[in-house]
Amino acid sequence: MAEIHLTIDGRTVTVKAGATVLHAARQAGIPIPTICDHKDLNPYGACRMCIVEIEGVRGFPTSCTTPAAEGMQVRTRSPELETLRRRTLELMFSGHPNTCLVCPHREACESMRPMATKAGRTTRCGFCSNREECDLRNMALQAGGRDLNLPTLYAAHNLERDDPFMDRDYNLCILCARCWRICEKIHGKPAISIINRGRQARVGTAFHKSHVHSGCTFCGSCIDICPTGTLTDRFARWHGKADTRADSACILCPEGCSLTAHVKGGQLVATAMTAFEPDSSLCALGRFGYAQIVNAPTRLLRPTIRDNGESFSVDWDSALDAAAAGLSKHESALGILVSAAASREDRHLYHLLAQELGAKFAAIPATPAGTKPLLPKWVTGPKKSRSSALILSGDFLEDKHLAGLDFLLVIDGLPSPAQERADVLLPAALLSEAEGTFRTASGQIKDLARSSRAPGMARPEWEILWDLGQKLGLKSMAFDSLDHITAAVGEDPAPQAFADAPRHDVRTLPAFYRGHRTADLVPALEAFGLSATPRPLKQDVSIEGFQLLETRELAPNMHLLRIKAPQVAAHAKPGQFVILMAKETSERTPYTLADWDAEAGSITLILEEVGRSSRELALLKAGEVLAHVSGPLGKPFPVAKKGTVVLGGGCYGIGAILPLARALRQAGNHVLSVIEASSAYLLFWEEELRAVSDEVRVATKDGSRGAYGGVQEVFQQIVDQQPVDIFIAVGCTFMMRMVAELTKPWNVPTFVALNPIMVDGTGMCGACRVSIHGETKFACIDGPFFDAHGVDWDELACRKSAYAREEVEALPQAVDLSALMFPGAARPRCGCGR
Amino acid sequence: MSFADIQQQARQSWMRFARPDVPRVLVGSATCGRAAGALDVLAAFREQCADDPALKGVDIHEVGCLGMCYAEPLVEIRGSEGSSVLYQGVGVDMVPDLVREHLGRGKPMVEHAACLMAGPPVEGLSRFQDLPMIRHQLRVVVRNCGIIDPSNIDHYLARGGYSGFTRALGMDQDAVIEEIKISGLRGRGGAGFPTGLKWSFARKSAGDVKYVVCNADEGDPGAFMDRSVLEGDPHAVLEGLLIAGYAIGAGHGYVYCRAEYPLAIERLRTAIAQMREKGLLGRNVLGAAFGFEITIKKGAGAFVCGEETALMQSIEGKRGMPRSRPPFPAVSGLFGKPTNINNVETLAAVSAILEKSGAWYAKIGTEKSKGTKTFSLAGKITRTGLIEVPMGISLRTIIEDIGGGVLHGKEFKAVQTGGPSGGCIPAKHFDLPVDYEHLAQVGSIMGSGGMIVIDHESCMVDVAKYFLEFTENESCGKCVPCRMGTQHLLRMLTDIAAGRGRVDDLETIRKIGDTMTKASLCGLGQTAPNPALTTLNSFMDEYLAHIEERKCPAGVCRALIRFSIDAGQCTGCMACTKACPVQAVAGKKKKPHRIDQNVCIRCGACRQACKEGAVMVE
Ligand SMILES: Cc1cc2nc3c(=O)[nH]c(=O)nc-3n(C[C@H](O)[C@H](O)[C@H](O)COP(=O)(O)O)c2cc1C
Ligand code: SF4
Ligand code: SF4
Ligand code: SF4
Ligand code: FES
Repeated sequence: MAEIHLTIDGRTVTVKAGATVLHAARQAGIPIPTICDHKDLNPYGACRMCIVEIEGVRGFPTSCTTPAAEGMQVRTRSPELETLRRRTLELMFSGHPNTCLVCPHREACESMRPMATKAGRTTRCGFCSNREECDLRNMALQAGGRDLNLPTLYAAHNLERDDPFMDRDYNLCILCARCWRICEKIHGKPAISIINRGRQARVGTAFHKSHVHSGCTFCGSCIDICPTGTLTDRFARWHGKADTRADSACILCPEGCSLTAHVKGGQLVATAMTAFEPDSSLCALGRFGYAQIVNAPTRLLRPTIRDNGESFSVDWDSALDAAAAGLSKHESALGILVSAAASREDRHLYHLLAQELGAKFAAIPATPAGTKPLLPKWVTGPKKSRSSALILSGDFLEDKHLAGLDFLLVIDGLPSPAQERADVLLPAALLSEAEGTFRTASGQIKDLARSSRAPGMARPEWEILWDLGQKLGLKSMAFDSLDHITAAVGEDPAPQAFADAPRHDVRTLPAFYRGHRTADLVPALEAFGLSATPRPLKQDVSIEGFQLLETRELAPNMHLLRIKAPQVAAHAKPGQFVILMAKETSERTPYTLADWDAEAGSITLILEEVGRSSRELALLKAGEVLAHVSGPLGKPFPVAKKGTVVLGGGCYGIGAILPLARALRQAGNHVLSVIEASSAYLLFWEEELRAVSDEVRVATKDGSRGAYGGVQEVFQQIVDQQPVDIFIAVGCTFMMRMVAELTKPWNVPTFVALNPIMVDGTGMCGACRVSIHGETKFACIDGPFFDAHGVDWDELACRKSAYAREEVEALPQAVDLSALMFPGAARPRCGCGR
Repeated sequence: MSFADIQQQARQSWMRFARPDVPRVLVGSATCGRAAGALDVLAAFREQCADDPALKGVDIHEVGCLGMCYAEPLVEIRGSEGSSVLYQGVGVDMVPDLVREHLGRGKPMVEHAACLMAGPPVEGLSRFQDLPMIRHQLRVVVRNCGIIDPSNIDHYLARGGYSGFTRALGMDQDAVIEEIKISGLRGRGGAGFPTGLKWSFARKSAGDVKYVVCNADEGDPGAFMDRSVLEGDPHAVLEGLLIAGYAIGAGHGYVYCRAEYPLAIERLRTAIAQMREKGLLGRNVLGAAFGFEITIKKGAGAFVCGEETALMQSIEGKRGMPRSRPPFPAVSGLFGKPTNINNVETLAAVSAILEKSGAWYAKIGTEKSKGTKTFSLAGKITRTGLIEVPMGISLRTIIEDIGGGVLHGKEFKAVQTGGPSGGCIPAKHFDLPVDYEHLAQVGSIMGSGGMIVIDHESCMVDVAKYFLEFTENESCGKCVPCRMGTQHLLRMLTDIAAGRGRVDDLETIRKIGDTMTKASLCGLGQTAPNPALTTLNSFMDEYLAHIEERKCPAGVCRALIRFSIDAGQCTGCMACTKACPVQAVAGKKKKPHRIDQNVCIRCGACRQACKEGAVMVE
């Protein structure tokens, strides 16, 4: 191929014909910033960050789209280019909630909040699941100070979290088009593309269809190529960046697609395509279901044996002894039933065992939705023809097949009804937890990597079988290593492929894994018509009780809930809180009373959507009934005439300080209310507060309204202007801590409303324990208000994050599939007040 | 049939049409005429003439637009006495009189007439070409508009149509391109790139399959030159496309026309069918070794689809979104093939150039801007309409002589050229010659030819905001500077108009404008800041008044004005009371009225209603 010589920044570069200026610069090691460019995609030229100057060419061409030409003189750096790039970056960020980047407290805040908050809408980096991996953020931080000082233009698109596996928040989208370009590259006809124009321009499906109905195959490549937190894997998103990646293969169907396991701290968090190429795509189960199966909360953890009708957990040695003993006894009538979704090594050892023991053997193939695997006669036939002892590796049999068995050994990783009858139950490692090889339908042999830790005492099946062979004294099963087993497998036949590969058609996803319904393990698969085991119907909820009278999103993530609770409303005092449960299965979570109306019997709360429980509450619709409301709880704030009182509210605290302001002013105080938010568009209730305060001041972390900074900056301003008798701050722990540190040297009494984890709210569980001046207090009955200068903040931060991982894992469960199943049904509209 | 025979036949048909002794009625019924009620007038003429056996022989035709929008509907009547008179503002109620007097008795009705089009002089009527609006014009592109029946190819042929193409056919392809180069024609779609040069690129590109495209996606608000030409003389454009196809070696032409132009599309369809009948399309056009086909594509109405790379995507059935050049369409265009794309007006000029010669065309205009340019005159001007003038004519001539000056004799403040991509030229440049170079010098552009006259009752912040509203909506959203830049510019202009502006917004507008101009992907984003930047440069004081004094000097920005009634001038006629939609005006009959500021929504209805000029704005 012809060569081209060009000069970049004074250096001569030689590239192949067809290369772009960007390629040439990269080849020469000259950095040019890019965003929309991606090595696996065709150039697009939208972000305009890669502009350069070319001798004889008008304007500022984008290097990613400009073909290199002979003799070209390129400059990648000049004061003008720097200015244009910096301003373009600022413009891009103004359409991408970014206040953390310009917030004066960013470093302190990030050191206190190492993990991103699991908010509903991502309104800043601190709420973004992509924070750790974000190149844009680094680019913006590197660019340093601001030139244009632009306010964020929040697009206020609806959150899209009603499809089986993805959460999409297009308010973060910078329209780099990587997602639909990769979708087009992989599938030919993309499920998504850019829609609308101007301010409304965004990525979406045709006619706003749900992804399930748009031709999306859930390959997940759009998620993996998106540089922002817009597109996320609901299961993986809050786990943070993987620390290990390992290439392996999926064995859930005969295709045996290659995949890359993403592992963090030994836990499998996701599986993704190995490359952004059409033939590397994965099906919905391989991309999204795999990790959910591995992480199923029902995984079998311990070897168990049954004796005299009772089950005991035992150590491996005893369990294997019991298994060997049982097998020896029933050798003559033994059957072995295994799954074809297993490594060749596992299969081979089962096979050897069957040969040695003269047992019948069958491997049940994976089957697509709508079909059921055929079972061999020796388990389903007339009683006499059946094996009376079984090794069962999976969940293939019904009660009627199991009745009358003399001996049952179950080796599996997931629970099944058969296990209740098992004489010996051995917990197996699954999928990414075991090494081996797999033969695909096309005959290829792929390596399976062991990348994640098996739960509890579970072990790879080949190890279990190897040990069992030793216990049984079977010479043929004595191998030195896994490699030896692999070598011994020989030329095994390739499995029969599905008529249509699941990665091309969501309707052919595997319905079973080792006989377990995949829809039981990955409930979202029901969206594709895979059926789960029927569950008992939910009882009708009565419309009496704690009815939600009104619900509204005042600002992104900030929901106003008005609930019927006459008893609470009748006794509520400023500073008190309630504990809510959306459903019987929900956690109990505390919320400060923002207002109440004793006459109407209603209470008003401001709820910030930051995790599973608040999400459940935020998704309730008016008219629905909450499972429980208890309160009023906590000590009311001691309202008295003190002089000048300065109240500070951030996040939900803006609502929480309203009753305090009103009561304190009625008591004759001069009340100044200060509210803060990341950016102007996140403020709410300013007018409401004005009505009950003598003065209201505002601070934003990007300076888009009021003072630049937070409540603390305004407190400082106030103290510089006038004497203050009390400070009160309600908001996130970070804000209250900053306030406490600020006011301490001034010796002005300062109160904060602590918000630790609470369970019962009555002082019995101790979950809400805090230390004040070295003394243990319970926030629920002694608080929530405490002397800010006595709080042990480090302890509080530590206790608050104690369940971080559980909280992350609880999130994917909170998916409302009904919207999906009935696509016509009305979707909640964005009511974030814009 | 040879071309000579075709021409011969056409001339016969035209002769009948043009013969001075045959009474006829021509109703200007392009979209503009139709909007003014031309179709009703047409029907009325048909009815009247059908009723009277003596008028059975009267020919009634639809013709295109003469460009005198302010005088629509226009009807040209030729009675048996032979004078062709153009009547203006014709309503259905006038039809019986006109039929009786002019057609019946051969007595032109001078009181309704605009001018004499042809034939023996009529007392009290000047000739069309002597009208002040017409005198300074030079009609090349619109040579046939309003004069021929656009649905009759014979009319076009008889007036020299397709002789340019036959001439080209007899020439070497490079010679045709040379002829265009000699003419000095530059693209009329906006950017003004030399057409001959563009053709030579497409001609030189390797490949058997090439395309020519006619860009008829006229999307600037207020621009309607292309529509008029397509409706009034479609063959002039199609002939140009045919010539372009021949010159670059393309066998297929597309006309990409906005779906909002149904009449233009209908006229194009008819015209293409007629071309085929006459052998001007097909495998061997006029028997030559040149094959050509034309397809009409309807655009979906996005402004950005007028941008050439977006337009081609749209023809391919994709989302109309621009892409970076290079590669240029001449190298890789429609379906990846070398493509030449020209605007409607450019192609209509091409057919005239090939008919008359490049040298003839090059004599018109200035040194670097040759030929003529059409403009749509609009805004606060006495005679709105479509005009065609030689390049280099002064703004003053256009506005004062052709346009009849600012409406109601008010003071001229600025003129906006080039629509949303253009800028505002302040009064001090009143003597500016209108050509590519001079418009660019004052920060504006020729654009497609929109020209909006602005008087002292228009607020420049409001004007800028109006255009930014348009571009903010029409930005395709692909590239960052344009998508976000238009949003911020509009945000700040809205803030300024609402009295929330800050002085440093002005600096930010400049910085963002500069970034958009230099870093946007396509022409839309590169030019979108112009309305804001040019008004900022020339009318800084007006911006500052909004920001520092919270005042709108022109009395337009609602948040910054209040209306009040001058008790001295108010006669208590109650016209304002009736006009106010919110009952904010109160007062007894014959007594001075008052406006309740708390109720007033600042719509200005009272001010317009008051005949005494008693409603004041501050
Ligand atoms: C946003 C945008 C909109 C445009 N719209 C039109 C249009 O409506 N009609 C047109 O002829 N050219 C339009 N153009 C210009 C065309 O891209 C192109 O320059 C023109 O068709 C070339 O033809 P010419 O050489 O005859 O001028 C537009 C350009 C831009 C950037
Ligand atoms: S998951 Fe795959 S198929 Fe679905 S939209 Fe993303 S890239 Fe396209
Ligand atoms: S969703 Fe992500 S990949 Fe797609 S355009 Fe937006 S930022 Fe780019
Ligand atoms: S400049 Fe505007 S219209 Fe052109 S590509 Fe960019 S976003 Fe689209
Ligand atoms: S990387 Fe070139 S424009 Fe985005």
